[in-house]
Amino acid sequence: MIDFELDTRQHTLKQALHDLGKNVIRPQSLAWDRKHTVDEQFLRTFYKMSQALRGESNPMQEFQEGAKKRDPDKPSQANRMAAIGAEELAWADAAIMLSLPGPGLGGPPLKASGTPEQKERFFSIFRDMSDELRWGAYGLTEPGAGSDVAAIRTSCVKDGSDYILNGRKCYITNGGRASWVVIFATVDPALGRAGHRAFVVEKGTPGFFVGKLEDKMGLRANETAELVLEDCRVPVDNLLGGEEKYQTKEGFMTAMKTFDNTRHLVAAMAIGIGRAAYEYARDFVKDNYVLSRPIPRYAAIAERLARVNRQLEAARILVWKAVWMADHSIPNAKEASMSKALAGKAAISACIDAIEICGAHGTLATEHALLEKWFRDIKVYDIFEGTGQIQRIVISKRLVTGLKGF
Amino acid sequence: MISFEPSEDQGLIVQTVAELAKTALSPRAREFEKERAVGDDVRKAVQEMGLAMAAVPEALGGQGLGLLTAVLINEELAYGDPAAPFGLPGFGPFTLAALEFGTEEQARALLAPFTDPAAHDYFGAVAWSELRANRERPGLSTLAKKSGGGWEITGGKCFVGNAAAARRFIVFAQVDESAGWNGIGAFSVTRDNPGLSVGARHDTLGLGCAEFSELTLERVKVGAADRLEGGGDIVRATLRFFAKYALLVAARQVGLSRAAFDVSREYCDIRKAFGKPIGHFQAVAFTLADRHIDAESARELCRRAAWAWDTGKDENRALCYTAEAVAHAHEVAMRCADDAVQLHGGAGFMRDVIVEKMMRDAKQIALSGATAEHMDQLAAAVELGAALDPALVLPTPETQAVFT
Repeated sequence: MIDFELDTRQHTLKQALHDLGKNVIRPQSLAWDRKHTVDEQFLRTFYKMSQALRGESNPMQEFQEGAKKRDPDKPSQANRMAAIGAEELAWADAAIMLSLPGPGLGGPPLKASGTPEQKERFFSIFRDMSDELRWGAYGLTEPGAGSDVAAIRTSCVKDGSDYILNGRKCYITNGGRASWVVIFATVDPALGRAGHRAFVVEKGTPGFFVGKLEDKMGLRANETAELVLEDCRVPVDNLLGGEEKYQTKEGFMTAMKTFDNTRHLVAAMAIGIGRAAYEYARDFVKDNYVLSRPIPRYAAIAERLARVNRQLEAARILVWKAVWMADHSIPNAKEASMSKALAGKAAISACIDAIEICGAHGTLATEHALLEKWFRDIKVYDIFEGTGQIQRIVISKRLVTGLKGF
Repeated sequence: MISFEPSEDQGLIVQTVAELAKTALSPRAREFEKERAVGDDVRKAVQEMGLAMAAVPEALGGQGLGLLTAVLINEELAYGDPAAPFGLPGFGPFTLAALEFGTEEQARALLAPFTDPAAHDYFGAVAWSELRANRERPGLSTLAKKSGGGWEITGGKCFVGNAAAARRFIVFAQVDESAGWNGIGAFSVTRDNPGLSVGARHDTLGLGCAEFSELTLERVKVGAADRLEGGGDIVRATLRFFAKYALLVAARQVGLSRAAFDVSREYCDIRKAFGKPIGHFQAVAFTLADRHIDAESARELCRRAAWAWDTGKDENRALCYTAEAVAHAHEVAMRCADDAVQLHGGAGFMRDVIVEKMMRDAKQIALSGATAEHMDQLAAAVELGAALDPALVLPTPETQAVFT
């Protein structure tokens, strides 16, 4: 039956994150942005809070860890839960969402391709972080290879029971603090995607360095690092999935699986930021505009607000559709890309229009006006995890007969 | 719980209607356009299936399946021919007007003729837009004056759907000239009323198979019982009426958008240029991707709006969801149809290909019920917590006039 009602657990999660966002996160948001870090004390508290809520029906747990094994007749709710949580947390501050401890983007490839031993070894460090917070990360992009992931040049050469890695990775979320990073390398660039290998490279491995920490337009509280591999020796045990996995194109497919799993969540975050900006502008109009007298101007602003909101609603409904499909194990690569393509565009417009509507007030960076921060934060949502253009390639390949690439 | 899966019953209805659209509407869309009417046999078939009464409560002779099922039906019919629903009995605004403005008793009487499976020739019509908008005061130009125990209505209406065929009209007129939009009233008028005459049929851009005409009311006398009070709050009832009808119209835009997209996609597969199918060029493929995003998002927003009405959500929330869905669907349909013509190139401009009709239909459908601009004002007013000023949120005749 067609239904758009959140269930009790989804309501609870949304409300809890909303209250936390409003009362705790937003008041500190700008300070963290300026310090280029999310307060570690806050992350600890957030972690403890979600631990304390652990239990059979703890929405936080599903939101953070995904669904447990389930009765196939009772589809998972994990993806719907995650989308609702992601939007709400990004509404408060997207940089925090990206800074939460845990495997991060390194999780999906490990979950999808890791051997049982690797999963145990690398996931177990996140099981109890009451002593120390830990992160995982995902290293694919290079200075010379962004959207065209087949063009990566980081090399891996077999040497006895090790691989020796050489290359540079960039724009790695939480790359500097990560306990391990899933690094993509190639045995031979001429092989293209078939030559790709994925390694779990641990912090402190000789020859594995953190390069510069990036200074960014937005999401400044979240760490983005460059990683350098110089004759870095990685044991074959760290080759994701083991050697037999790479007899096929599986190496490259690992990367693709990650993005199919997470694109709709990135879209949900974008909507969270866009909604924050929209609500700010809406309330600004409510509080400051003289609504009764100059009707023509009011009508023009009202129309603009309505357009912003309905674009966000259109994007959200596509996100919900994509996560609903994921929960029912229906392949959703096209739908996830559709949601992200629209969400990126809609949320950027929302942030731009919100500033425009508020006039010069909209550009001020004060504790009460986060508009300028959201304007800076949102742009990357049409870039990372596949640019808007890449999403359209993914979508059109599934629409046009026989289209392999351009 | 969030779910996008129609119920089993809805699935079966959609399948049946899709089959009808494929076999009876789509291949004959040009014929209907030329004949300026939907074929008799098709009207018969649709009437026998009782599709028009899906959202009417069972107590009033309908099927009680809710607005959501009606949205699904309208979408599928329009996929075959977006103009056809405007020329099918019971699919016009009359049905919703009877429900929103009439008492239960009035609604039952007004709708009874439609529930007859053999009544494929029975039409109702709603007369709202004015031949001449009132520049002196807010409100309608057509006047209803108390006369004896009843009312006497005088004025000129236009853009009235199925006026020539209609056996019964719901006519809007000003009952209190000093009360602005709060002073409007709705009246049921029969075709044989001596003061009523149907004028010239409008020659329109699109929707060729549907008839829209002028209506002249010259001292039309009706009884006190013919006034439809709208549950006491006429502005609210008018708002609900236009929102719900606009939602059904928006569902037709979704059907049109999907059809325009599908035709374009097929054409991009077979049309070759520079040695390959044009769909293999990025500018073309990305256009298809964007229109697919458009059509899919409009479709789900329409369903959510209908769901909000059916599940008895707060009325302002349902109005807001509806306004968003309608405004989005109108914009989306115009983009999908425009790009469908564009991707066909010169061929798209020719009447041999259906896309030029879709483009003409899309523009006219966007002016039926309520426009995107009216709906944006409505959504913004709800979101801003402002009073729903009828002059801003209703499709009042002195702004963008609408077809009903």
